[in-house]
Amino acid sequence: MDQKLQERGPVLFNRQVAEGIYHMSVLVPGIAAAARPGQFVQVMVASEPSVQFLRMPFAVFDVDEAAGSVDICYQVVGEGTEQLTRVVVGDEVDFVGPIGNGWHVPANAKHALLACGGVGVPALKLLADELAAMGARVDVVIGAQTEKRLACVEQFEDSIRDSHGALYLATDDGSTGIKGFVNAVTDELLASHDYDYVAVCGPPLMERSVALPAIEHGVTCEVSMERLMACGVGACLGCVVETKDGLKRCCVDGPVFDASEVVW
Amino acid sequence: MSTVDMCVNVGGLPMKNPVTVASGTFGHGEEFAGFFDVSQLGAVTTKGVSPLPWDGNATPRIAEAPCGMLNSIGLQNPGVEEFCKSQLPWLATQDTAAIVNVSGHTLQEYVQVIERLEDEACVDAYEVNISCPNVDAGGMTFGTDPAQAAEVTTALRALTKRPLIVKLTPNVTDITVIAKAVEAAGADAVSLINTLLGMAIDAKRRAPKLARVVGGLSGPAIKPVALRMVWETYNAVDIPIIGMGGIATGEDAIEFMLAGATAVAVGAANFVDPLASLHVLEGMVAYCKENGVAQVSELIGALEV
Ligand SMILES: Cc1cc2nc3c(=O)[nH]c(=O)nc-3n(C[C@H](O)[C@H](O)[C@H](O)COP(=O)(O)OP(=O)(O)OC[C@H]3O[C@@H](n4cnc5c(N)ncnc54)[C@H](O)[C@@H]3O)c2cc1C
Ligand SMILES: Cc1cc2nc3c(=O)[nH]c(=O)nc-3n(C[C@H](O)[C@H](O)[C@H](O)COP(=O)(O)O)c2cc1C
Ligand code: FES
Repeated sequence: MDQKLQERGPVLFNRQVAEGIYHMSVLVPGIAAAARPGQFVQVMVASEPSVQFLRMPFAVFDVDEAAGSVDICYQVVGEGTEQLTRVVVGDEVDFVGPIGNGWHVPANAKHALLACGGVGVPALKLLADELAAMGARVDVVIGAQTEKRLACVEQFEDSIRDSHGALYLATDDGSTGIKGFVNAVTDELLASHDYDYVAVCGPPLMERSVALPAIEHGVTCEVSMERLMACGVGACLGCVVETKDGLKRCCVDGPVFDASEVVW
Repeated sequence: MSTVDMCVNVGGLPMKNPVTVASGTFGHGEEFAGFFDVSQLGAVTTKGVSPLPWDGNATPRIAEAPCGMLNSIGLQNPGVEEFCKSQLPWLATQDTAAIVNVSGHTLQEYVQVIERLEDEACVDAYEVNISCPNVDAGGMTFGTDPAQAAEVTTALRALTKRPLIVKLTPNVTDITVIAKAVEAAGADAVSLINTLLGMAIDAKRRAPKLARVVGGLSGPAIKPVALRMVWETYNAVDIPIIGMGGIATGEDAIEFMLAGATAVAVGAANFVDPLASLHVLEGMVAYCKENGVAQVSELIGALEV
């Protein structure tokens, strides 16, 4: 059984990076040392009574092992995330993690396609870094409703540049990048390139719209799924995902699933 | 400093301390082993197990509630055979009592589970769930009717010499009626409370937050109800009580013992703090030391009214 940690640490920064989207960094060295791409943390505000009973799951967006920090990037959608925005530097936040299986990067991947949208973007940043470090070419497609809601793009720039990959943006209203959904871009890319690994994270419909064509093209495709979670440790069975092999717990059997195993 | 004697006995089940976990909130214990040594607990109570695998209800099956949560998991479990193969062996290696929570749709299904578990040497006690609000047949219907509650208890009593704990639902007018019925039918102990039937609505979508519409409320929100029911039950029966419902701190647990519980179970608090059960135990020990309590069992029903 993997060691899991409950760790409380001060907030290093918590800043708005796009409309309703925040980037927060917290000093939690134990989790920083253990986290792998695709894992997540269960978060609770520690400095004042939490407005919510349950913790909130957020992808590990970035890690600085030397500094001992873990970053998350979150979109304000309700009371819990609203409370997070009020946390200031030095306030304490409580993390449980790292949780989940993470991405299973094929050892020989040469050309990877990463597709994400909305709150799925943060889950792919460390994966892009790892793929680039392995020498794979990394193409990234990021979708958003509109330019003002597009966040975390610059964090992908290093790995895309270093790996000679390409960045594609898609917005529903065409305010930046291509006008349309993420799959408008990925459909074309899948048809014109020989990818050997596709990773997807975003709203369910978007995941489906990328995963099904990827499977059709015979490319190994992984998706990171979102479910409402209570325990985040595999105990409550609240977060199940329907797979061809029966119900799986999103929190510990996932959140990353082989797209061909998921019952879409 | 002298140590506190934390031992208690729940209807023939000796526990090295009064703290266990509430069924369905702790898996079979292994899920929490990455956080702490679960052998420190007085007992581990497993997720409910039925004769055949159950898939449970559709998702979403959890929702936030003020000071708590709703769930409509619906007793998803791999079935008793798989449970004995892949979950129980791990629990057997832990130096803590194993209480297996038993569920069924029909009397016959409860019987099948216990018959199978009688073959497993490491099971220390049964907790019979006649109180689940999340299954259509069986579950809570057995727990709301004294005659049916007694019938299940009698049938299972005949099958085992192991401590038989019957888990009661708060979704009744008078819980003492059910408690007395299962006591008379041979239960060694009762545990209470299971979740309170509740509901959550998303006003924006004009839709229920749970796919099943209704679900069970747990967490600190239900503690006052649970305390009241433990107190009423303590005054109505002679068998021991495992008290639960919103316990999150050592002081909460002490309150349940004062109301009449012999042991306590930590439930939804495990989700917020994976170390909650350990913190409850530590808090109880600290309370005993501060208040000159040499044996924790002195506190059972010691409420001064
Ligand atoms: C593995 C995982 C990783 C995640 N990573 C991120 C991330 O990196 N950045 C980010 O912004 N969000 C992420 N989420 C979603 C995030 O957990 C929720 O948005 C957050 O918990 C909402 O809390 P709230 O109190 O503000 O909203 P609530 O008031 O609880 O809910 C507001 C709305 O959000 C929906 N919602 C709530 N919780 C979840 C959830 N767990 N999954 C999907 N929808 C939910 C509700 O159904 C409701 O419609 C992730 C979720 C999971 C399961
Ligand atoms: C997610 C979840 C699953 C549960 N599953 C079971 C179960 O399988 N069998 C059972 O007897 N009780 C089950 N319960 C009820 C708890 O064991 C306990 O009685 C109840 O939650 C009250 O305690 P709490 O407020 O500390 O959570 C479950 C509760 C929750 C929150
Ligand atoms: S959130 Fe509890 S099992 Fe996944």
